Amino acid sequence: MFAYYLRLGFRSLRRNPVLTALMVITLGIGIAASMSTLTVLVIMSGNPIPDKSAQLLVPLLDNNPKDFAADAKLPEQMSYVDATNLLAQHHAKRQTAVYGFTPYVESGRKDIPPFQSDGIAPTHDFFAMFKVPFLHGGPWGAEADANKSDVAVISTKLSEKLFGKTNPVGRRLRFNDRDYQITGVIGDWAPLPRYYRLIAGNPTYGDIEDVMIPFSTAVGQEFGNQGSTDCSSDSGNGWQAFLRSECVWIQYWAEIDSPSARQAYGDYIAAYIGEQKKLGRFPRAVNYKLYDVMEWLDHQGVIGKDSRLQTWLALGFLLVCLVNTIGLLLAKFTARAGEVGVRRALGAPKGEIFRQFLIEAGVVGVAGGMLGLLLSFGGLWLIARQSRSMEAVAHMSMSMLLATIALAIACSVLAGLLPTWRACQIRPAVQLKSQ
Amino acid sequence: MLKMTLLSNVYRTEMIETHALRGFDIHVREGEFVAVTGPSGSGKTTFLNIAGLLEEFTDGEFLLDGVNVRGLNDNQRSRLRNEKIGFVFQGFNLIPDLNLFDNVDVPLRYRGFNAAERKRRIENALQQVGLASRMKHYPAELSGGQQQRVAIARALAGDPKLLLADEPTGNLDSQMARGVLELIEEINARGTTIIMVTHDPELAARAQRNVHIVDGQVTDLLAEPVLRAAEHAAERAALNPVQAG
Repeated sequence: MFAYYLRLGFRSLRRNPVLTALMVITLGIGIAASMSTLTVLVIMSGNPIPDKSAQLLVPLLDNNPKDFAADAKLPEQMSYVDATNLLAQHHAKRQTAVYGFTPYVESGRKDIPPFQSDGIAPTHDFFAMFKVPFLHGGPWGAEADANKSDVAVISTKLSEKLFGKTNPVGRRLRFNDRDYQITGVIGDWAPLPRYYRLIAGNPTYGDIEDVMIPFSTAVGQEFGNQGSTDCSSDSGNGWQAFLRSECVWIQYWAEIDSPSARQAYGDYIAAYIGEQKKLGRFPRAVNYKLYDVMEWLDHQGVIGKDSRLQTWLALGFLLVCLVNTIGLLLAKFTARAGEVGVRRALGAPKGEIFRQFLIEAGVVGVAGGMLGLLLSFGGLWLIARQSRSMEAVAHMSMSMLLATIALAIACSVLAGLLPTWRACQIRPAVQLKSQ
Repeated sequence: MLKMTLLSNVYRTEMIETHALRGFDIHVREGEFVAVTGPSGSGKTTFLNIAGLLEEFTDGEFLLDGVNVRGLNDNQRSRLRNEKIGFVFQGFNLIPDLNLFDNVDVPLRYRGFNAAERKRRIENALQQVGLASRMKHYPAELSGGQQQRVAIARALAGDPKLLLADEPTGNLDSQMARGVLELIEEINARGTTIIMVTHDPELAARAQRNVHIVDGQVTDLLAEPVLRAAEHAAERAALNPVQAG
């Protein structure tokens, strides 16, 4: 009977084209408005590394001066002293310090003049921690970190720009007046958001950095920090003084064995602060915080209040569209009272009438969903025009595409419930006589 | 085939109670052709609706082909209606969006026949009413008489034991009406029980038995087939001189 009712449903769409068009357009607009904003919200609020997001921790240490207010916020990053101490102690399963720098790349080719790129300096653990895939080669090893080696991992985009489709592993990349040997080319990796380096002023969405070199190498080359640097006290004169200062400019990540090891890692951080206090640092009471990936995204306010508000507004608009669709379906089904009477007289139980009309409403939903999908792409295109960040998130995934169709059907079935129920209550005897 | 004993049906509103049927007794045997007459508002349609399981009744007993219909739920009533009863209405009641084939197909779908069986029955039914060649046509493309023939084919396709006809020729001219009535008589001759509500005394006269309803009661039920149409017509005129239908 499902196929039969489906056929009747499609036939019914043609019966009253104006009413059908009204319902499909109403539903389509509601679906498009909600799905385009929902798509952005889902991508913004999605877990970028679901299988280990609870094991990747950002420790924040309170190295604020003593005279800061008791409820002063913890520094969002770490000082060089603490980052290198924690790296050296290697307490977690993996750990990395990360900071950004600006490479001025010299291609050595006449057709590509020197250009400014963007880079980060992590440790070799970074690639395993964040499950970075490689198109060619791989990350540098631990010895490269220890020896401050001139090695680099580059993005596919930079690789193709400089070397075309060839494998550049082993070749030299020259930037900031120095040659670096390429150990790997990052493959298809576009975390949304770029959670591994979420700090104020850094773009949340967009392409990954083009160049990655060892943290120790970048510090050794005195590459300045491209990003937020916060100094609560004098940073001194010169690079070495800066490294010894309490300025915070490094993002630190630790990977623990399992979520249950979080408390133990926290105890370790507390003990570390205690040790440092004995050396005259950390003048305030021992204070630290750990954030896992999702907590960190929340703490950083990745999902803006505007996005949430837009989504609620869009869902409210969908509700208005639904109410309109209910009204139109009521009109459509009421006009079919005679047919209901005939079908009932010919042996259709109420349940069959219910199924027939609900499937018919579902057909309207599919048509509305298709239109909604087209309009959603249009809506996402408009959203993407707003900014480069929005361009990165305004893409409909396959799951959201399927969700759009499912939402459309669910909405139309929901909208069809009342009219269908009303149709089932029709007294066939009355309709048959009045025909 | 159909037996109603002391049946009553009362419509209640907050203000008034209307007895559509009261102490209604009737027994229609298998294979009979019964004409039901009576003035407007006498309860003919209520009787037909109850007989067709389209309406509940308030009190009494109703056996349809030996099945006590009191207490049956909607699914059971619908099943019984689909299997045992065929309807022919004054207004034909074809579904305008469906062609003749699909119109006749409707009751068979609810019976659960497979496609081949449905096709066989539809073609056979349309053959019987002389419209086999027009099965892809739509109701609007047919004359009133042809539409009523399709309605009869639809009623016949399920092989019902009882055919309920409500003013089946009421919307037809005399020539078409004659053709439809002959078809109904043929169906009856093949053993199908017919109960036909009509205002037309000539039509009623063609039935084997006349049942007259006044004020929700059977006033004249003869056990043997007797033609009483003229008498009924005179009685109806006396009761309701401006009766319309």
